[in-house]
Amino acid sequence: MLEIRTHGLGGQGVVTLVTWAAEVAYRVGKHVQAFPFFGAERRGAPVKAYLRLDDKPIALRSQIKRPDILLVVSPSVTRLALDEGISDQTRILINANVQMASKLSERLAREIYYVDATSIALENGLEVDGMPMVNVPLLGSLVSLARIAPFEVVMDVLDMPARRGDYRSYKNAAKTGFFSVGCAKECTDS
Amino acid sequence: MRVLETGNHLVALAARAAGVEVVPAYPITPQTQVIEKIAELIAAGQMDAEYIPVESEHSACAALVAASLTGARAFSATSAHGLAYMHEMVHFAAGIRAPVVMVNVNRALGPGWNIWCDHQDSISQRDTGWLQLYAASHQEVVDSVIQGYRIAEDWSVLLPHMINIDAFVLSHTYMDAEVPEIDEVKDFLPPYKPRWKFDPRLPVTHGSVVYPDDFSETRQSMQIGQENARRVIREVCKEYSELFGRWHGDLVEEYRIDDADIAIVAMGTIASESKVAVDVLREEGVCAGVFRVRYFRPFPIEEIRSLGHRVKSVLVIDRDYSYGMEGALFTELKGALYGYSEIPVRNLIVGLGGRDVSYELIVDMAKKALSGELGEITWGDSRLTSAHRVTLECLEDFKKIFG
Repeated sequence: MLEIRTHGLGGQGVVTLVTWAAEVAYRVGKHVQAFPFFGAERRGAPVKAYLRLDDKPIALRSQIKRPDILLVVSPSVTRLALDEGISDQTRILINANVQMASKLSERLAREIYYVDATSIALENGLEVDGMPMVNVPLLGSLVSLARIAPFEVVMDVLDMPARRGDYRSYKNAAKTGFFSVGCAKECTDS
Repeated sequence: MRVLETGNHLVALAARAAGVEVVPAYPITPQTQVIEKIAELIAAGQMDAEYIPVESEHSACAALVAASLTGARAFSATSAHGLAYMHEMVHFAAGIRAPVVMVNVNRALGPGWNIWCDHQDSISQRDTGWLQLYAASHQEVVDSVIQGYRIAEDWSVLLPHMINIDAFVLSHTYMDAEVPEIDEVKDFLPPYKPRWKFDPRLPVTHGSVVYPDDFSETRQSMQIGQENARRVIREVCKEYSELFGRWHGDLVEEYRIDDADIAIVAMGTIASESKVAVDVLREEGVCAGVFRVRYFRPFPIEEIRSLGHRVKSVLVIDRDYSYGMEGALFTELKGALYGYSEIPVRNLIVGLGGRDVSYELIVDMAKKALSGELGEITWGDSRLTSAHRVTLECLEDFKKIFG
């Protein structure tokens, strides 16, 4: 069983991101469970969403308090995301550049995986109403860090949304996200 | 067809597979996705049914009953305040013996305003005469809608069937499930054959005045329908598992009960979480099992009486409350055991208004129940303080402010 909890802001596509990731896992034969916490849905308000993957049917129905991966889509909700609960084994993946990730790594005295999804989205012209579509690169990063599936499956899942937008931008952004997860502090993994 | 979908969308796909012909419905959170999806399927020509937008839930249920009485297979979905608003017609549907299926997405009743899960809405419809099932998984949601029509339409039953699915935990969560095609279902569930129907060529009156001389008999016949439903449910669930290879239990579902000292009794998704709790308890040397009540009506009396001889202790989890008494499932279970078993039974109240229920909490409470530490009724993780109480002092404070 792999448990992932995601925190971000309303309008960042957090729920869509988790649904996409569930679809990726589903396509490689996993049993999946993806659910947002529904509150007052409005732009800019904190949003959280959960994802479970397993090789056997999932019986758990509760929220995830000690995730294997904590994905922080907006650095502004980092505190909130940590307060919700992590374990010593939790791997933290944050949408941030290397400087921000290093600072956080120092402050928490633990490894921080990072990807600058905001820059990747903007470099590829992925914007909706002035908001960078960080969920496209982050989907790649999450799938690659959690080793859910090869990159081709990510593009299978993004095929429909990408065809409605600029296909090449989606592909580039997802691919960059997939292959550029960094690790702040003494980590050899990236 | 295997799909990754929300519980709500699975309900819509199951209704299509069941050959539903008429859908009168009114939207309410967290049920809205069900009827959105049905409307979408009908509009796209992918579902051959009549969609009736109505002005209220009371009308939705009235149209549901009327459609069924013309011989059509009718379906609707609602939740919480919507179900409460149609309450009069909920009685009517059972009294007039309309074998409809309706999905209720379990949500708390306000105030305080709350869109999240508990069972208060459907528990409050306990005495209307409907069959009531509580689902624990996405796959069970699909299969129960299809099975529901076979059970309700059986000529020895002819009662409406409510399928309860937990808000968000089932309704808005994406999980993978198998949805049979219409062609795969049609042998198991052929088109509805009413014993009689409203037909302008053969006018009859149905559901009009019944004098005291006959009324009691109409009510006793509803009880006979409920009693017959016990047999029909067992047969239908067995046949379905032989045909489709899927079994969710019949009136109840058991998990590791055979050598258990304590049975955790629950309805809906808490029972699924309880399975994880049982695995953890057994790793710690505590012999526990889950006894999931699938059907709250008809109530599994025989199964519970037999449980009373198989285990030493019972913990009943209620996601509802009957004010001035105790959890509703607790009352029912004790009633069934009366005169048959003297084992201690404890009541745990959790998950109200969508409060998360973790297996850790269930593990903790089951251990306390077994060691005799738990009082008769425990409000789980409730954090009641003086601020939550309506007291004379707090009313005095209001008086000072609003004077």
